[in-house]
Amino acid sequence: MNFWDLLILNPMVNALLWIYSVLWQNFGLAIIVFTLVVRLITYPLTAQQMKSGQAMQEMQKSKKWQEIQKKYKDNKEKLAQEQMALYKEMGVSPFGSCLPTLIQFPIIIGLYQAVIRALAVTPIQLLDLSNHIYPFINAAKLIPLNNRFLWMDLSQPERLVVLGFGIPVLAVLVVITTYMQSKLMTPPTQPGEQGAQMAQAMNLYMPFLMGWLAYSFSSGLALYFVASNVFTVLQYAAMGKLQWSNLLPGRK
Amino acid sequence: MKSKHFSILFILLISSLSLSACAGGAATAASSWPGLSIVGETAYLAYNQHVYAINVADGKEKWRFPLEADNKISFYTAPVMTSDGQLIVGGYDHVLYSIDPQTGKENWSFKEAKNRYVGSPLVNDAGIFAPTADDHLYALDFQGKLLWSFPTQGAQWAQPIADPTCECIYLASMDHYLYAINASDGAQVWKTDDLGGSMVGTPAYGSDGTLYVGTFNNEILAISSENGKVLWRKTTDGWVWGGPAIKDGTLYFGDLSGAFYAMDASNGEIVWKLNPDTGDTSAQRSNPDGPIVQTPLLTDELIYFTTRVGSIFGVSYAGKTSFFVDIHELDKSICGDPKNTKVRPSAKLFSSPVLASDKILIAPTEADEMLFALDTTGKPVWCPFIPEKK
Repeated sequence: MNFWDLLILNPMVNALLWIYSVLWQNFGLAIIVFTLVVRLITYPLTAQQMKSGQAMQEMQKSKKWQEIQKKYKDNKEKLAQEQMALYKEMGVSPFGSCLPTLIQFPIIIGLYQAVIRALAVTPIQLLDLSNHIYPFINAAKLIPLNNRFLWMDLSQPERLVVLGFGIPVLAVLVVITTYMQSKLMTPPTQPGEQGAQMAQAMNLYMPFLMGWLAYSFSSGLALYFVASNVFTVLQYAAMGKLQWSNLLPGRK
Repeated sequence: MKSKHFSILFILLISSLSLSACAGGAATAASSWPGLSIVGETAYLAYNQHVYAINVADGKEKWRFPLEADNKISFYTAPVMTSDGQLIVGGYDHVLYSIDPQTGKENWSFKEAKNRYVGSPLVNDAGIFAPTADDHLYALDFQGKLLWSFPTQGAQWAQPIADPTCECIYLASMDHYLYAINASDGAQVWKTDDLGGSMVGTPAYGSDGTLYVGTFNNEILAISSENGKVLWRKTTDGWVWGGPAIKDGTLYFGDLSGAFYAMDASNGEIVWKLNPDTGDTSAQRSNPDGPIVQTPLLTDELIYFTTRVGSIFGVSYAGKTSFFVDIHELDKSICGDPKNTKVRPSAKLFSSPVLASDKILIAPTEADEMLFALDTTGKPVWCPFIPEKK
């Protein structure tokens, strides 16, 4: 067994199954609660990431930073040295906001791998699952998992049939919530600010990429995307960090 | 800078989503093991994107269905032949196909299922009975017309069996219940109590009318075919995935812990048992070296079964192992290519061995080779079948 399974995936799969067992064997609810629990556990990382990001942003607005940008615009080596010196002086770590993100990365992958593994809709997936269930989980009683949630079969791509047409409601929700999340969480940018254009492009493409994944894969995964987006927005709202003005027309 | 961090997060997310695609059920990634059946001198192998008809005499391909691979279509259930000469196979595309076994062309298809066909259909004179993962058993006539459907509370992965003494069929479901169904109208004759775990193996039918089935609750049970009552139940070391095989009043089956059992069918007493020895990597192993997934093959001389790690065991009816082959160590010198000597280390064995006159056919998973034919000493009879790229 590899370390990934041992440290990340197995605990997550078993936690998901345990939540499922106590939540009236409703896998949809289990996915939502599981996402919430993981979000709460990783809250310190999110808070740290935001704090560092904010400190970095403030530093970049400072007069000193602007000055060295102008002064050494033709000498990249010197510019880097001066920037590092400024980081030190102002007590800002250049990796302060990306390190917590990197730490969260395996958790994000683990989350939806756990959802896929627990759904176990094919023989090899089910055999694989059988190898990773902890003894205290009563697997015989739980399997097969109840895949039904509202109008969805969580193991299948979701379509709500209205007048004979299959409408991918969840995929649309994923697009909307991903768009809202990225808009609400992107800090106001100044024209020409480093990376601003890239962030704007990502804000545009990411919802469609996520929507396409939600359209193509099991709706259990799409449900996780929606739950994750909503909880992230709520988490930022609770911290008073949402950029509501970004949603207004005309704002990029 | 912060937007840079967002970019990093997004890029990482994209990578992670790509990883999820590997587990998301793409048709090209095997999500089950090959389904293999023999009719006369032809082996029908359903694996990934094709059903292959292979000449048992020389291992050459006769035809494949469909001709062109389609990412939306994949097959894993062993094809079955109807009495009027149609080859029936279910796909992961939720479609049941009737194929002309001479030409490999489609006769008709049934498209009303809403989920995969994981287990093989049962065919007899009364019709075609196809279990699906959409929790329904579909009964069709030989033109593919739906006669009736029978709902259960969970996916159906096990091939049903017919009772020769009545017009009943028995269906083991993942919903923990075993059903007796009237074959002519789909009415439920009886249903067992909750048997404690899912069933994905075909029940065995004893000469006295007793049904035997293994469950994920680490049990093997004997059930009366008259009323569905449990006659006896015995604990096993692991999940029983494949159905048991029965011969002369003894049940033979393995479990996912790797234990292999010979059990008295009348009372469930163990006649003999091979305990797993997963640490044994020697060239001659006598005990199972990994999980046993499928039903064993019973021949006149030996009981053959496979283990997930890629081994084939032949055990006498007295419980002594006299045949062992590690698929990774097979001598492939018959192929004549000095480079073509080893099977990929990732190759596994889930499918049951199948007997074709004097040959034992083995269909591995995650190997380049799709079909091996071995003689009784374990030597390949022909160069393993690898489909040509078309």
